[in-house]
Amino acid sequence: MHDGSGLIAVQNLTKQFGPVTAVQNLSFTVSPGSVTGFLGPNGAGKTTTLRMLLGLVKPTGGTATINGRPFHQLGQPGRVVGAVLEAQGFHPARSARNHLRVYASAIGVPDAQADQVLGLVGLGSAADRKVGGFSLGMKQRLALATALLGDPQVLVLDEPANGLDPEGIAWLRTFLQSYARMGRTVLISSHLLAEVEQTVDQVVIISRGQTMFYGPLDQLRQSQQRRVLVQPSDINALANALRAAGVQMIEQLPDGRLAVSGVDSRQVADLALQAGVSIYGIQEEQIDLERLFFQLTSGQYAGYAPAQAPFKQQGGWA
Amino acid sequence: MGLMGNLVGAELRKTTTTGLWWGLLIPTAVLALGWGLATGLLGQFFVDFASSGDVDEVSDFLGVTPDQWKVSLFGMARAINISTIFPMIFGAMAISGEISRRTITTTFLTAPSRMHALLAKMLVYVLWGAIYGLAIMLFLGIGVVITSDSGQLPDAGGWAMLTLVCVLSSILMTMFGVGVGALVPNVAGAIVLLLIYFVVIENVVHGVLAYLQVPAVIGFLPNGSINGLTGSVAVDLFLSSAGVVPTEIEDVLRAIAGAAGAQDWWLSGIVFLGWAGVVFAGGWAVTQSKDIT
Repeated sequence: MHDGSGLIAVQNLTKQFGPVTAVQNLSFTVSPGSVTGFLGPNGAGKTTTLRMLLGLVKPTGGTATINGRPFHQLGQPGRVVGAVLEAQGFHPARSARNHLRVYASAIGVPDAQADQVLGLVGLGSAADRKVGGFSLGMKQRLALATALLGDPQVLVLDEPANGLDPEGIAWLRTFLQSYARMGRTVLISSHLLAEVEQTVDQVVIISRGQTMFYGPLDQLRQSQQRRVLVQPSDINALANALRAAGVQMIEQLPDGRLAVSGVDSRQVADLALQAGVSIYGIQEEQIDLERLFFQLTSGQYAGYAPAQAPFKQQGGWA
Repeated sequence: MGLMGNLVGAELRKTTTTGLWWGLLIPTAVLALGWGLATGLLGQFFVDFASSGDVDEVSDFLGVTPDQWKVSLFGMARAINISTIFPMIFGAMAISGEISRRTITTTFLTAPSRMHALLAKMLVYVLWGAIYGLAIMLFLGIGVVITSDSGQLPDAGGWAMLTLVCVLSSILMTMFGVGVGALVPNVAGAIVLLLIYFVVIENVVHGVLAYLQVPAVIGFLPNGSINGLTGSVAVDLFLSSAGVVPTEIEDVLRAIAGAAGAQDWWLSGIVFLGWAGVVFAGGWAVTQSKDIT
């Protein structure tokens, strides 16, 4: 039987779909007590990895375990791990309550649990409505309710914010954080760092099926160097003063400002005063995780700017 | 309740929480009733014709007067064969429907293994096969009794025997459907394949085998064996109330009952169970190794 540790361990996981390598030698672990973000652009192999972890896709190589066991050795998996996956279906003619009762029976929990999780996700009033009439957001909530039926120790969610309105996303964020604080394991995938930035404590960033970064989100933040953007009366005078003070990383921006790395705004302002240069504007650049995320994951399916290749433009937001 | 009991309960709930079971049961009942009524009417017509005098020789063969011929048996065997197409379709949608609607993901996430999930499903569909079989027999019986003279109806033992093979036939056809639905994970594909095979392909093959004078092979084919299960019982019951019957006439009777070339009813049942097992094993193998993406 499983060890009850709540640990997810992915080791050298590889999946080949014919000639396509979806996941390549991926390794990371997810610990209980925190929300871990599983990030990467669309097509990076996130869904395939999660489905291998859940026993739905057979790995070509490597292992993926929950509580020290592969999924099919968990005994009663519904009580160990709950999952919300993309393209997880519902029978349109079945009511939300009946849908949950089907799986409550499969997991072996009382029917009352169905109504309890419906209330938990805010679908209590829609319990007897057929799922075919549900909005995407309601289906997403019902999928979460299904995942919670067995009161699992581990929660795996693939792009759970899809279809949720801002209110729903805020609710989900609070819910997942409190779930993790109960000492449980939460793994949540997304292709947008910004979407989960406020939710997750740890991140696993993958690109082209490989791990690019794996660790606490704070560590990722610290790895990003801060910059001071300053608009002086005399660019050359300030740049010389900065160089004289030992600051090397100075860059002139197209808008006429200087971007200075490795110092804070106070040092820049003091040096400007000494050099007799006026400062018309100064700001410390916000830590831009999104840019770092792009740097880590760039290259795969990169689009072109419309001006460069007007007829090739395909989702070129990167 | 153990693990398996939980899964069987879940599969049962899946079938009772949508309208498919009665949506298919209604045409099944209508078809059985219609065949029952037609069986009585045709039987009556045939008996009247046979009693008209010109065909006395036949009645001499059979050793009883035409008004005592239990002709309803043939129509009833045919009615069971046709009506069990519906429980077979019901079974075919068990797994293919879940794959098409992607509910199979949640099913596999909540079961200890895929084998557990498929076995639980098979058990529930065996139960549904029995329910369909009883419904077929009920409506078929009502139809036949309304339009038949008592002389053409089977006795109590005959009714019991027909009910048994009707329920068995329905269970086996449902199981066969479940297997094909696992093998062809597409609802329309599975149903069309089953209908074309049972209605067209095998009937053509039967014709060819009869022409080649190897009719015994028919009894070992899927449709041939399942028809043999009911047809052989019908012929046996008919002959048990008739006198000594020449082999040529018996062959004709078998053909009328839809059991040309068929083995004994129990052997036919075992042969078809084998086919259902082969198909299910294939469907299981496909489902077991399938990547659910």
